[in-house]
Amino acid sequence: MTQDNGSNLLKATNEDTSGPFFPIYFQDESLEDLTVLGPGIVGAPSGQHIILCGRVLDRHGNLANGVLMEFWQANAKGIYNSPDNLGHPDLDPWFNGYGRLRSASGEYKFCTIMPGASDNRAPNITITLFSDGISRIVTQVFFEGHKANETDPVLKSLGTDDQARLIARHGGHTDGGAEIYLLDIVMAGANETPFFDDFES
Amino acid sequence: MTQFGRQLGIGPTDNTSDQRTPRKPLRLIPSVARESFVPVVPARYVMRTHEWDMTRIAPGRPRGDGTPIEVKGTLRNENGTPIRDALIEIWNANHHGRYRHVEDASGLQLDENFFGMGRVVTDEDGNYCFWTISPGAYLARPDIGRWRPKHIHLSVSGGSARLITQMYFPDEPNNASDPMAILMGDGFENNIGKPYETSDLDVDEGYRFDIVVGGRNATFFE
Ligand SMILES: [Fe+3]
Repeated sequence: MTQDNGSNLLKATNEDTSGPFFPIYFQDESLEDLTVLGPGIVGAPSGQHIILCGRVLDRHGNLANGVLMEFWQANAKGIYNSPDNLGHPDLDPWFNGYGRLRSASGEYKFCTIMPGASDNRAPNITITLFSDGISRIVTQVFFEGHKANETDPVLKSLGTDDQARLIARHGGHTDGGAEIYLLDIVMAGANETPFFDDFES
Repeated sequence: MTQFGRQLGIGPTDNTSDQRTPRKPLRLIPSVARESFVPVVPARYVMRTHEWDMTRIAPGRPRGDGTPIEVKGTLRNENGTPIRDALIEIWNANHHGRYRHVEDASGLQLDENFFGMGRVVTDEDGNYCFWTISPGAYLARPDIGRWRPKHIHLSVSGGSARLITQMYFPDEPNNASDPMAILMGDGFENNIGKPYETSDLDVDEGYRFDIVVGGRNATFFE
């Protein structure tokens, strides 16, 4: 079970595709809308409500059915609910920043709050995608109109075309006052979304 | 300057893999952005207490068709540190190769005594254990006669760990032609459960499946 190359590390279990049948039974509505805590609970995270929505597309431009999407973001003050930040005064007790949904059609809609800028980063949300045919792939989405986009290290590591593929467009707002942001994720092909390697980085 | 990481492989004879696998190599995450990139998944205890025993739908009910098996193992990071309080979500086809999932259009037989979905949480030493019915292989590509070998899906999440994988069974006839197994190459061995005796248990076969969460997740905390 140990790795060759003179290292003592255990060999990681291979990632594998989730297949088409990830149980809908495991769905948890409280992870699909991070602006509410759960039925009947008074209390909500601070911050501007946003709706991040769009389509997940395959190499032929068709909707990718049966995708499982996970989201990870800082709170409105730019603080992540990670072990390093335990007890941080700007942690929002009503917001843990992890969301998950499964889209049968490939269209998605995630309700959350606008993340704050953390460290030297522009506001962003990490997206993890699982679906039939692929193992986990990850990327980060940014928001149109933020000045910090110009200096963000992840965006700066990409060419102009790829930067544009990660910046969600503003698409108006709902009657309830949530700002709408639109982003299509293209899994493969000409207009492919840039994905990142968090194993080798 | 863009720096490149792995190039993901496309599973042979897998149309969906061809449609969905990114063609460009993955980009490396700039080191200053790493901490603000990798998720920390909160522990979630949403399971019902009987979900570790997937051989029956509820306690006291009859068992599903097929062979009841035990699967157990330890969840660790690459340094060998056990990962405790992680949620393991499990799903597998029934004895006939059918999932109790609205999108499974195979037409294979459902089993009224088998649900096929369960959740367990790792204990403080990173151990987990569940019972299920040994899944049937199923014909994934009727047009070319390609089967998916028997397998159990497992999703691991909690703290810094995030992994979706599959446990396969030793010496199965369809292992060698499986597109996922082919992509894993020699590493496929790691995804095969190791049989053990279960003579004093109420199951017929046991498989040890130790899981190691790698890469980015190895050092995050604890
Ligand atoms: Fe499967």
